[in-house]
Amino acid sequence: MAEKKISKKTLSKAFHNWYYGNLTCFSQEHMQTFGYLCSMLPIVDELYDDEDKKAEAMDTYRAFFNTEPQLGAIIVGVTAGLEEARANGNKEVDSETINGLRAGLMGPIAGIGDSLVVGTVIPILLGIAMGMSGGGSPMGAIFYMLVWNLFAYFGMKFIYNKGYQMGTKAVEFLVGDIGMAIREAVTTLGGIVIGAVSATWVSVKTSFHLVNASGEAYMVLQEKLDGVFPGVLTAIVVIFCWWLMAKKQFSPIKVMLLLVVIAFAGVVLGFFNPGLSY
Amino acid sequence: MNISVIQAIILGLFASLSSMPGLGGTSIGNYTLGRPLVGGLICGIVLGDIPTGILVGCAMQVVYIALVTPGGTVSADVRAVSYIGIPLAMLALKSYGLAADSAEGIALATSFGTMVGTIGTVLFYGTATMNLIWQHMGWKWVDNREYHKLYLVDMVLPWISHITFSLIPTVVMCLLGEPVVNLIKTSLPMDGIPMKTLFTVGALLPCVGIAILLKQIVRSVIDFVPYLFGFTLAASMGLNLVSATVVAAMFAIVIYNLKMLQLKKAAPAAANASNNNWDDDEEDI
Repeated sequence: MAEKKISKKTLSKAFHNWYYGNLTCFSQEHMQTFGYLCSMLPIVDELYDDEDKKAEAMDTYRAFFNTEPQLGAIIVGVTAGLEEARANGNKEVDSETINGLRAGLMGPIAGIGDSLVVGTVIPILLGIAMGMSGGGSPMGAIFYMLVWNLFAYFGMKFIYNKGYQMGTKAVEFLVGDIGMAIREAVTTLGGIVIGAVSATWVSVKTSFHLVNASGEAYMVLQEKLDGVFPGVLTAIVVIFCWWLMAKKQFSPIKVMLLLVVIAFAGVVLGFFNPGLSY
Repeated sequence: MNISVIQAIILGLFASLSSMPGLGGTSIGNYTLGRPLVGGLICGIVLGDIPTGILVGCAMQVVYIALVTPGGTVSADVRAVSYIGIPLAMLALKSYGLAADSAEGIALATSFGTMVGTIGTVLFYGTATMNLIWQHMGWKWVDNREYHKLYLVDMVLPWISHITFSLIPTVVMCLLGEPVVNLIKTSLPMDGIPMKTLFTVGALLPCVGIAILLKQIVRSVIDFVPYLFGFTLAASMGLNLVSATVVAAMFAIVIYNLKMLQLKKAAPAAANASNNNWDDDEEDI
């Protein structure tokens, strides 16, 4: 019997099914399961002629799946390779090993993907794009649309194919030492850019001042604070919000509600005054 | 300025494409069309005022710069922020006669958008719940070995969920926008405490977005240093964001090389030459 091999065309179709459809039919119960089934369908169709074997293969992917879908393309690629091995009669690969692998990988890949792709790469690109949007210029938005989509499409395609060719070795690279060095470098880059973004686009200012007998302001708090570290009030509020969420387990909604209370109290006490007029 | 039915329907279609389980897919839908900056461009084109759209989009983008949805829990819905919040904020700015690049304009846009985005999570759960129906049908088809109908489940039927929970709410909200904005304007005076609070909240809210991001990258107090370094570059040294990114990239290269030196020292044999292709790819970021 000739060795079965997934054709280039089928592999590409499987990738595109994942690229587009990973979350299109999202529910809290099954999340990316249907996206996964759609991605494996062309591969299973090509590898098996026997209807029972086809059903056995498809049943494997009925198990719950959810991860960061973009970096997660690597897992889908790895299972494409495993399915090919199973179709060629490799006894070590069965539904259980495939699902064990999927369940074992989706957690770590979600963690890395959420912090690296969604939490770092996208904010960096958005930060640069916002820097290009001065005066309402559409350049920034166009820059983001182009760069992000080229990066996402070719990046996902690359790791999907790597996953297919190299199997679990590809994943080991991501969680291994070199992957770690890259992540640390990118995280620092992200941290610095986010600092610059918050100094540029966030502005928390106080209107608190003390007035002397002749009506002149002799102590303007905002000026004193900026003399210490420009924008310090913004940095303090950001770090306060971080502290609430990271150390006190506040949800973002709760923090926002607390800010509404703080804003109200600040306005009443004269600490905040947006200086509105008609 | 008002929004016509056709404009509202176009915005509703974009709302269907974006969002978390959006029909444009994850990369194009959620992470491109769903971002408020891109939403600002699209709303600007549709409503005929690109600069205002972009500036309002930028203001809201800061709040949602790190919209990570671990395990599918959301604190805001991008379709509501980008295609209901931005058009309404644009209407409000015009109505109040505020410039979109003034501090007050940004604050008004931010508090409007965030309010809408938070309420919009209802739309997210609505879509996800309705998708359960299609998934239920999908399992039956899989049981009957009608595998090709999976495409129907994953790519066609969710349109019904989105017409119900993205298109129609967007159209209704955009059309109701003008009277509601006028109502707020006449009932709440600008120099009253509620409006002052609203504007102050608008200035404070972006801090939450930045803090969500910091939660991802700060593990110990030392990790605040890169953040404050970037803050200093912009606030004290006056660098713009593109220049600050170049400085940051320089530091990233230094850190990467330092780490690699450490690794080489620790395990000379482990340095695998075949992995170099990977590095190049990742460095493009």
